[in-house]
Amino acid sequence: MHCQVESVEFATLVGKLIESGLPLSLVYATDDRAQKNTFSVHAVLSLEEEAQWLVLSTSVSSESPSYPSITASVMAAHWYERYLQDMFGITPEGHPDPRRLVHHENIPEETHPLRKDFAWNTKLDHAQVPYPMHHVEGDGVYEIPVGPIHAGIIEPGHFRFNVAGERIITLEGKLFFTHKGVEKLLEGKTPEEALAFIERLSGDMAASHALAFCQAVEKISETKVPERAQALRVALCELERLTMHIHDLANIAGMGTGYSLMAANGFRVKERLVRLSESLLGNRFWRGAIVPGGVTRDWTEGECDLVSETATAAVKEMQDLVAMAMQSDGLRERLETTGVLKHETAIAYGAVGLPARASGVMRDVRASHPYAAYQELPWKLVTAMDGDVYARYRCRVDELAVSLEVLLAALKLNRGGVVCTGLSYKDGSGIGAVESWRGEILTVVHLKNGKIERCMPRDPSFCNWALFGELGPGNIVPDFPLCNKSLNLSYSGTDM
Amino acid sequence: MIMVITLIIQVVLVLLIAPFVSGLVVWFKARFQGRQGASPLLVYYALLTTLKKEHVISASRSWVFRLVPFMVLGVAVFLALTLPLVFSDSGISQVDLFVLAGVLALSSVFLVLGGLDAATAFGGMGASREMTLAALIEPAVLTTFAAFATVAESTSVQEIFGQGMSAWSHPALLLSFGALILITLAENARYPIDNPATHLELTMVHEAMVLEYSGPYLAMLEYASSIKLTVFLLILGNLVWAKPEGAFDPMTIGLAVGGVLATVVVGSFALGLLESSIAKMRFFRMQEYMSIAFFLALFGLILTLVV
Repeated sequence: MHCQVESVEFATLVGKLIESGLPLSLVYATDDRAQKNTFSVHAVLSLEEEAQWLVLSTSVSSESPSYPSITASVMAAHWYERYLQDMFGITPEGHPDPRRLVHHENIPEETHPLRKDFAWNTKLDHAQVPYPMHHVEGDGVYEIPVGPIHAGIIEPGHFRFNVAGERIITLEGKLFFTHKGVEKLLEGKTPEEALAFIERLSGDMAASHALAFCQAVEKISETKVPERAQALRVALCELERLTMHIHDLANIAGMGTGYSLMAANGFRVKERLVRLSESLLGNRFWRGAIVPGGVTRDWTEGECDLVSETATAAVKEMQDLVAMAMQSDGLRERLETTGVLKHETAIAYGAVGLPARASGVMRDVRASHPYAAYQELPWKLVTAMDGDVYARYRCRVDELAVSLEVLLAALKLNRGGVVCTGLSYKDGSGIGAVESWRGEILTVVHLKNGKIERCMPRDPSFCNWALFGELGPGNIVPDFPLCNKSLNLSYSGTDM
Repeated sequence: MIMVITLIIQVVLVLLIAPFVSGLVVWFKARFQGRQGASPLLVYYALLTTLKKEHVISASRSWVFRLVPFMVLGVAVFLALTLPLVFSDSGISQVDLFVLAGVLALSSVFLVLGGLDAATAFGGMGASREMTLAALIEPAVLTTFAAFATVAESTSVQEIFGQGMSAWSHPALLLSFGALILITLAENARYPIDNPATHLELTMVHEAMVLEYSGPYLAMLEYASSIKLTVFLLILGNLVWAKPEGAFDPMTIGLAVGGVLATVVVGSFALGLLESSIAKMRFFRMQEYMSIAFFLALFGLILTLVV
């Protein structure tokens, strides 16, 4: 559903709708100066009962692009608005934190890469624009800067702790060190060309991102995807979920608390699934199978058996490991009461995915906007109430069992028949939503003459990064890695 | 003369096997976790490689930074030299418990200064944690030593840890022995106090203080850690089975060397098992761990005084 709103009423209306209980899923901008001589800002809200997306759009003057900020009353919009301020130069007036988000100090003022008149290969001068980070002053308060280069093989991100002794007072992240310009590069590409970029947004959720993008494109083109392809799409996403949940269960208990037995064995179990991907798809990332119109090929009987055997064995082994680990009081003690994300905070910040569900927020795209073959499969919503690292751990354990069940059913569903259909692209815009293992992906695609006019793949990490500012304080510094691992957010997916 | 020879044998042996002990703990841990594990001898290569590398030293450090590795390694060698580790009467008899406690504290203090000196966030963080732990463990160390001294009726380390006194020569010493094990884990930055294998700077204690060191200085600090761990394992071993009295004949020397090797293998095995079966303790739970150590030591001391 789509509504056009005056820019002065935009923020008030969005605020009222959110207050009435509609979750805010995305705020993004488009440069429509060529057609309408204005910019547009769009807010996407989820109508859960109707399984629809409500898109509210407003035009913003191209001479002095500004509109009243949504963030002034809705916390969940704050990163989106800072993002469009950097990328389009549209000012959300009254934004409580109008600092830059994507641009670091070295980017000159008035650089707005997603405006249509900004060439993707522009060489920028080196600037020194201040980027003040929050800090606290007082007796015995000191700052710990961590990163952007870390000791492990992880992506770059800077974290600034203000601590009194070991207790964290404030915690702020500075990300966007590896901006790849994917959104800009996608413009003018056909969906087939774009898919390769989408799959590489975040290496650990290649299948889910591909699916969200394909669904958006298929919605615009009103394509009906073959039923077997829908089942295989579910299978691929669930295999990705199994792979990464096993990784997280090993990583949280093993690396986060120093219970290294879990790391050594959990990563070994994960490797089985990664190798399964390699034997089926020729890569280790569940990449290259989902394409607009369906999937590349059906799996043979033998391959389906291999998948179900490998996945069942891996899940069984992981469950045994977790059962053993959970008997360790020392481990439980580290996980419980650590990094609590309060229910109200999760709602206010628009948290998505497993961290939200572990805090009692019943938000899952598979429930509210069913896609692929999920309605025909034994899928269950997994939640917890406590919101601590342990709750997130338990949710992963529970989802592992559900996910395996869904996978096994999906492999048997609608066997035979074609798995891919041709697309004839139409003009228009569409939204693809997928509940990846990390949370809700929302990909908006605007197509024109078979080419991408604008594409915004919103990774769940984008919604959840800001949660650290809330769940970190009150914890002690040595417990932060545990909080971090329990969310396991993507830097690359956020920093398109 | 015999004293000098036993002393030379002890120092050479302890300094020689120290890296092996560190490697052995890592190897046992790997085996317990179902991994193949690198050869325990890898630590020798690692130390030699580090030794050959160049220093990268922060411009904001002072002369203290360069002094620290020498002090810490010096203390470790001092321990290997003075305590009765290989023979029951080797070491230097004049050294008493208070010197020992003081020397251990000296090593901690210099490590802390080294951590603070380059003024990096992690160094300061590790230093503050080390001092917190040192303040918590100090009462337990002194009380444990006092219990041993009471039973041995001497404060000389040689008479306490060397000459035939074992953990069961007095019932109270079993408690003190328990406290000494907890102290050993804390002093050597092992589980559940610290994780020597972690790469997460935010959780480090000992490793955070030495993050700024590289090249030969780092090799010295790592070598010192190995020596300290070996010395502590040998002391614990002495309290379980007594070492032979020093004599210059192959039989005694063989027995002594065999005893040392058996001790470090058993000790590394136990440490590897412990570190594979528990999670690291939450930092704000350390006072509970240290309280257990202190009360074990205190009850040990009370029993030695009343029984």
